[in-house]
Amino acid sequence: MIDATLRGVRSTNAAPVHRIGDIGDEGTWLLAGPSADQGPEALSSHLTRLGSLRPFECAGEYRTMLRQSGLRGRGGGGFPLAAKLDTAMLAPGEPMVVINASESEPASRKDWTLSAYRPHLVLDGGAVIAAVVGSSEVVIHLHRGAGAPVASLQRAIAERRSAGLPDPRWRLSLGPDGYVSGEASAIVSLLGGGEARPSFSAVPMAHRGPSGRPTVVSNAETTAHVGLLVRTGPHAWGAAGSPSSPGPQLVTLAGGAIDPGRVVEIAGEATIGEVLSATGHRQPPTAVLVGGYAGTWISGWAAWNTTFQREGLEAHGAGPGCGLLGVLPEGHCGLAETARLVGYLAGETAGQCGPCVQGLPLLADGCRALAAGTLRRRGLRRLLSLADVVEGGGACRHPDGAVRLIRSALDGFADDVAGHLRGEACSGAQRPPVFPLPEVDPSDRVWR
Amino acid sequence: MTVEIRIDPTRCRGHAICALMYSEGVELDRWGYGRVVDGTPEGRRSIKRALRAAAACPNGAVVVEDSADRRIRLAGRGPDGG
Repeated sequence: MIDATLRGVRSTNAAPVHRIGDIGDEGTWLLAGPSADQGPEALSSHLTRLGSLRPFECAGEYRTMLRQSGLRGRGGGGFPLAAKLDTAMLAPGEPMVVINASESEPASRKDWTLSAYRPHLVLDGGAVIAAVVGSSEVVIHLHRGAGAPVASLQRAIAERRSAGLPDPRWRLSLGPDGYVSGEASAIVSLLGGGEARPSFSAVPMAHRGPSGRPTVVSNAETTAHVGLLVRTGPHAWGAAGSPSSPGPQLVTLAGGAIDPGRVVEIAGEATIGEVLSATGHRQPPTAVLVGGYAGTWISGWAAWNTTFQREGLEAHGAGPGCGLLGVLPEGHCGLAETARLVGYLAGETAGQCGPCVQGLPLLADGCRALAAGTLRRRGLRRLLSLADVVEGGGACRHPDGAVRLIRSALDGFADDVAGHLRGEACSGAQRPPVFPLPEVDPSDRVWR
Repeated sequence: MTVEIRIDPTRCRGHAICALMYSEGVELDRWGYGRVVDGTPEGRRSIKRALRAAAACPNGAVVVEDSADRRIRLAGRGPDGG
């Protein structure tokens, strides 16, 4: 079914054409195929639609295609996948390949959408990566919490087995829930018999992971792109993006969006305004939160004409991250939302690195005081210098994400900051939260 | 020989001994956690101080490695003679 209102083409001919589509829409890349109400796509439908792959015979060719594609990781880091694979291939030992489908970002649904509805595209990508780096097994990692797309992936693996596809061994791994437990080094620690907490290493994981073997961790969306671009060719695929963000991309709408949790695919260069218009928004919101809960705020007016690609977002100090596009509606207080988000991030520390353990709760306190109108100029200066101390002090980027969010809030909501510092009443701060946070009981926290 | 000193923040508990032993390259933050500001000690004396800092850390958070990422220890002496 095609929703005609989802198709937006810029009015001037000079502007690049883009396409915004939902799952099942014709003309989409990753989301093409059966609609969501038909559940996971069966292997027969997948192969009829896209044709089969020959990962072992074509490994060299596929490697070249991945290099030419410029595909960057879609889990948040944005690291070029081909560079990871090259590093793993040069390092001693059989590489370990992990598809990260855990999607720890609370409001993101794109990896879930792919694993639940297009499992074979994800598995195809895993088979290609394994063949390229010479690995006989691929681990698919999920959080074990409710709603994990385990059944769809299990069924897909069984289908492939009985069809005799030239696949690596598949292993489903279920790990603890929690924001940092889905971080690449945390997953690999868990797989090596340790705890799902980030680990510190001076050498890239692709060279030598916590298990001692070269380790490639690839996000589920990234992996699905691999399965697709080796069929379409890297150039056609890349042209569905921009020079610095080649290929189409998935976006999850969140917060005060009209339909939070909706996943859309952008092919071509679309502005945030075009994405929001295509999903029912008529005018710029107060602000958007880009890249994740530890992402960057951009004012609604500035964001409206900014493309959701690296070059557009970088101008605002942001990046596509995991593809989250959160909406802060009119009348809500960005400082109050920031305080709640920083409080959540503080509670999600793995409890290992001092600056994160000590610093994030203090940053959260400062943000709460600012939101409540009880922070003064001196307190704000202390908050900023604390942010400087925390930044870069952890083994992973968790504390840095919190700092980025805070700095972008102080910058993007500068007028509100001034009012709050004067202790003026803020009606927006009394409103119910826009960005839902998972309920976490610290005593339930497990790391295995 | 080039060596590099690093602090694993997941192990650091703020004992601050590294900042006494290898004062030219480690600073303490407001809680006493060490942060490497000069990770490549130069000269025998400086390298030796870095190795002492690594040996003295009660949590094994301070690591000195050679250019091939091999760990060097003060007592055991590394493959290149320490």
